[in-house]
Amino acid sequence: MTSLGGSSSSTTEYTVRVPKNTSKKYNIMAFNSGDRVNCSTWTQARMERDMSARRIYGEEESAEGAAGSEFGKKQREEARRKKYGIVTREFKVEDQPWILKVNGKAGKRFKGLKKGGVTENASYYIFTQCPDGAFEAFPVHGWYNFTPQAKHRTLTAEEAEEEWGRRNKVVNHFSIMLQRRFREQERGGDDDDDENEKSGKKKKKGGGRGGDLRIHDLEEDLEMSSDDSDSSMGDDGEGKTKAKKATGKGKAKKKKRKSSDKEALEDSDDGDYEGLEVDYMSDESSSDEELEKGKPGKAEHHPKGIDEASESEEESEEEKQNEEEAKEEEEEEEGKKTPVQTEKKKKKDSSGESESSDDSDIEGETASALFMKKRTPPKRGGRGSAGSSRTGSRPGTPSIDSASTSNTLRAAASKLEQGKRPTPGPSTDSPAAKRLKMEPSSQSPVPSGKSTPQPPSGKSTPSSSDVQLTEEAVRRYLIRKPMTTKDLLKKFQTKRTGLSSEQTVNVLAQILKRLNPERKNVNDKMHFYLTE
Amino acid sequence: MSDKTEVNLTGVKQSKGVWLVKVPKYLSLQWDKATEKGEVGKIIIGKKQGKTEVRFSLNEELTALGAVGEQDASLQVPRDHPFTMHTVGGQTMAVFSQSNADEISLEGMVVHRAECRPVVNDNYMKLKKLQIKASTKPQRLSQQLERAVTTVFKPVANHDFNVEHEKKKKSEGKMVRAEWQVVLDMLFSAFEKHQYYNIKDLVDITKQPVTYLKEIMREIGTYNSKGAHKSTWELKPEYRHYQSAEEEEMQTA
Repeated sequence: MTSLGGSSSSTTEYTVRVPKNTSKKYNIMAFNSGDRVNCSTWTQARMERDMSARRIYGEEESAEGAAGSEFGKKQREEARRKKYGIVTREFKVEDQPWILKVNGKAGKRFKGLKKGGVTENASYYIFTQCPDGAFEAFPVHGWYNFTPQAKHRTLTAEEAEEEWGRRNKVVNHFSIMLQRRFREQERGGDDDDDENEKSGKKKKKGGGRGGDLRIHDLEEDLEMSSDDSDSSMGDDGEGKTKAKKATGKGKAKKKKRKSSDKEALEDSDDGDYEGLEVDYMSDESSSDEELEKGKPGKAEHHPKGIDEASESEEESEEEKQNEEEAKEEEEEEEGKKTPVQTEKKKKKDSSGESESSDDSDIEGETASALFMKKRTPPKRGGRGSAGSSRTGSRPGTPSIDSASTSNTLRAAASKLEQGKRPTPGPSTDSPAAKRLKMEPSSQSPVPSGKSTPQPPSGKSTPSSSDVQLTEEAVRRYLIRKPMTTKDLLKKFQTKRTGLSSEQTVNVLAQILKRLNPERKNVNDKMHFYLTE
Repeated sequence: MSDKTEVNLTGVKQSKGVWLVKVPKYLSLQWDKATEKGEVGKIIIGKKQGKTEVRFSLNEELTALGAVGEQDASLQVPRDHPFTMHTVGGQTMAVFSQSNADEISLEGMVVHRAECRPVVNDNYMKLKKLQIKASTKPQRLSQQLERAVTTVFKPVANHDFNVEHEKKKKSEGKMVRAEWQVVLDMLFSAFEKHQYYNIKDLVDITKQPVTYLKEIMREIGTYNSKGAHKSTWELKPEYRHYQSAEEEEMQTA
């Protein structure tokens, strides 16, 4: 207002006013000098807030009132969020970026991001000079940094990395964008007119449209929303189809991978045999699972055999349901039960053994049999499951082992019994001895892997000399001690006699009729015995 | 989404140049205390041996730290503030304003940047000390109580809330069954507003006993046990006539 003229210093004073009631809020629009923005060249400009973040921030609003809405849904949602302590940041319109469009459709586009922390510690004021010479100071409300937005096609990050790798080889940079355009065409997107013009331009990292994997890009949504964007519709269409295809491809890839993984799991059996224990007695390395399945019934007899041999004192009600019961019961249980039982019994017997004089053979064999028996159950235990081919790979061996062990054990058990009871030994001895001798011989043909009835196939001759369902044999048993029919049946196993179960039953019934043994009731069970 | 606002470019056209001045907080606080007229001080631009010096001098009445009009002798805001001027080299800055009516206009271009600095003297130092003390004070304070608080968690025969609740219940009395048709009307009007309702909410709205209400609902509606709207009732399709976000008419059978 007052200007004092001075000699060397001239000072002018101006009043500063801070208008109180301004309805206007002043903001700073800052550009980068490198962008060479000259506001005076602008003929027309439009500006609006970029609301694309509202979708992300704001919750999905289901239909308010009318179809699809629930009574009190909002309150419930709010209560739920409070309960879980979910704090959602408010969507503040004030903080949203600006979109500035200069000179209409063909002009530039700018995005203005709010700069934070401007008004915290110091205040900015805009000093404008009024016509009357005084200064007016307006506080700055917000600061927005405006950056120009690329309209031309850009490479995505992945593509850019690819091109970066080839930068020394590629000379013709124009072709890069051309190729990209062709690729997009292949994928069925619409073509962009801008491509032709801007194919030669340097790629900026800003755009990021298109590409194999589309990370959510706010810009494309923006373009969707705007009315007067030119290439946006085309781009979006492309982008969307690409996105779909990309995800489709990705899914297909994933599916492929999954299926291949599955296949891999099921097919590879190679490594399955690696950690298996090798038994002493068997030479074979692996056999099929089918064999094993064919075997179950037979195999069960072997543990059964051990039961029968060593636990002849025990009784059970089953008569000719021996085999059925065996089949019904889980193999694993049997396999697990029997060794325990047999071991227990064996211990008892072995203690008896040590007392009575025995062949070292039997001892040795029982010992080895015991060892084998211990090992086989774990293998047999896993047979039921599909995935474990450990046992599956060697189904024959357990059964074979158990067969051999059962044979030896039974032989041992019967030997012991003979030792305890001073009854006709020679006849039993020879068969026993023969049996023992048979075992080693029988093992060689057997391990060929055939699991079907061992006795008939491998040893037709031995079976005849083995336990035969004769009257003589039955008489022998009954003289020795009272037995139930079940016990008798156990003695004459189909494997050893070569007869079917029905036949066995019939023959046994006939024999019993002929013998007409005396009956005694022990433990509520009918026992037969003979006194001779 | 919102309409595009046409930016008023008159300011730029006239190439109005403005200054962007960074002002310390205390000074801006003082300026807020200015009178209606808004005069806060003076800018003195002098030329000393070729160098332009700009100074801002705060008005007398605004130097007091306390309320306006008081002359607190103890502490005063410094009056002289030289401006340090810079040119806007790296950034092209424009000023745009947004009015209450969401009208955007470009006010001008920034031609100079300035920082308002106070003259450092003892007074200023004291002021700063005060400020620091105020800022270092913790917002939360631990305070030791002499006696323990015994007003809460006393054993009570019946809690206040419970007592009120019972009284309310008694006063309202048991819910009486209204006429079938009346209840139906109530329900239909309720379902006009929302599609899915919880049985409790329906009881609240209609003030009918639950069993009676359930009977009616079983006739006209279905129960959603699974899906998005978990245990809610909705009208049967033949009774519904929803149009998305528009007025619907309920059709009664």
